[in-house]
Amino acid sequence: MAVPVSQAWTVATYVLKQKMMGRKKYPLVLMLEPLFRCNLACAGCGKIQYPAHILKAELSPEECFKAVEECGTPMVAIPGGEPLLHPQMPEIVAGLVARKKYVYMCTNALLLKEKLHLFKPSKYLSFSVHVDGQREHHDFSVCREGGYDIAMEGVRVAVEAGFRVTTNTTLFDGADPNSVRAHFDELMVAGVESMMVSPGYTYDKAPDQKHFLGRARSKKLFRSILSNRKKTWRFNASPIFMEFLMGKKDLTCTPWGMPTFSIFGWQKPCYLLQDGYADSFKELMETVEWSNYGTESGNPQCANCMVHSGYEASGVNYTFSSLKGLLQTAKGIFFSKYEDEGAMKLLNEWKPASYGPLVQIGAPVTNSASELQEVSGD
Amino acid sequence: MATETQESAKLAQLAHENPDEIEVAAGREREQLEGWIPALASDAEIREALEKAFDYRGDITITQKDGSQVVGYLFDRQRGASLEDSFVRVIPSNDAKAKVSIAYSEIAALAFSGRDTAAGKTFEAWVKKYWEKKAAGEQNIQIEPEKLD
Ligand code: SF4
Repeated sequence: MAVPVSQAWTVATYVLKQKMMGRKKYPLVLMLEPLFRCNLACAGCGKIQYPAHILKAELSPEECFKAVEECGTPMVAIPGGEPLLHPQMPEIVAGLVARKKYVYMCTNALLLKEKLHLFKPSKYLSFSVHVDGQREHHDFSVCREGGYDIAMEGVRVAVEAGFRVTTNTTLFDGADPNSVRAHFDELMVAGVESMMVSPGYTYDKAPDQKHFLGRARSKKLFRSILSNRKKTWRFNASPIFMEFLMGKKDLTCTPWGMPTFSIFGWQKPCYLLQDGYADSFKELMETVEWSNYGTESGNPQCANCMVHSGYEASGVNYTFSSLKGLLQTAKGIFFSKYEDEGAMKLLNEWKPASYGPLVQIGAPVTNSASELQEVSGD
Repeated sequence: MATETQESAKLAQLAHENPDEIEVAAGREREQLEGWIPALASDAEIREALEKAFDYRGDITITQKDGSQVVGYLFDRQRGASLEDSFVRVIPSNDAKAKVSIAYSEIAALAFSGRDTAAGKTFEAWVKKYWEKKAAGEQNIQIEPEKLD
């Protein structure tokens, strides 16, 4: 199993309870963003572009606990920004653990080694370390040489100290599936509990708007990466969601499945789109016109989206909606290596970009000198 | 949410392709809004300008009809049937915990006064800088996050 049995049981009973209560729209994971500031400045990230007074602002522990209680999910992910920059993060995590919430604290791990002593190992706490691929890929992705080595050192130290450690890999156009598979091997050797992998999304606010995977290419990429799986690999994702990424299953988006709370309030409608904010979870659920979202809605902002915040909950919902769903999920977990000759051929014939680890390296440069100055901070 | 101008690349792509057949997804137009002072002569202009302000990643300055000014980050807008029923919400730059609501009908002037914090930060820019620094023999090359003080 990629997650502890107690966690799988808690999630299963929560979902079944929602279904028995006849609730059609219920959240699965709260995305709690206590701050937006970060100690990296990745070009693909759309979360950190704010004026300084917004980057300095943060949620208090009480505001975090209130949000968690309002929405009632069994799992809480803490993305950001970089959560370890929040001075009260240990208190926030301890408060969530005391409430028996399964916490995934997302981190780039630059500060993990230094701050680890402020946290206690628990079955409720997992550090979800952002590693975007092998050394060169990750370093380019986070725009920092040496970022990979620090992150992996953080992973090793946390694993040795007895913490649950998972990883989170986001893939953009130019990703090399052979390298991603080698990356999975490295992560498993480092002792991580399980891995999550997701395509990047044409996030409106990202400064870089040119390197997002379309759905067709995402499916090809994920089919070649996730088929013919190695026995050693463990994933922190619903098998149905992963089949969706591989193009083997159609799912429609569940935009309310992973609601986001930040200093602005409850984000409408989802983790990726910012169409305004509600002051309470109830207001969020009641005021969003949900049919306007999801790829099937025709909304151009959703057109290429296959990310876990929209579709993981759809996979879980599929699992618990019928006996067929349960059996397919069990098969995915216990028996399927997803053997696929076509995918093997794709993998063997995949041509890595000849110019380096990311397609961006060879892309024509059109930026002005002033833009370059802004990037480097010179 | 985005205006049609910002979404034009995606709309054009979707007019010709099914989302499931798209290989590389179009991004959005980046408009140079920093320093812009839009004309707010008609209702349509007010709505369009405030939609862009909602999308902007820098501070804005709103002058209200009573002459008072609010400088801050416009994080939300709620569009109603009339300008009286439509509101923007701003976190003032001098008070992180306040959320100020202003009706569209009370807005006399708008300026994109703060720096666009997303401008110029593309992968191309990073990669070019990277190779320049590499060629100059530098090590530990990176993009530094903005200084906050
Ligand atoms: S498809 Fe769903 S998760 Fe993706 S951007 Fe649209 S609403 Fe959000």
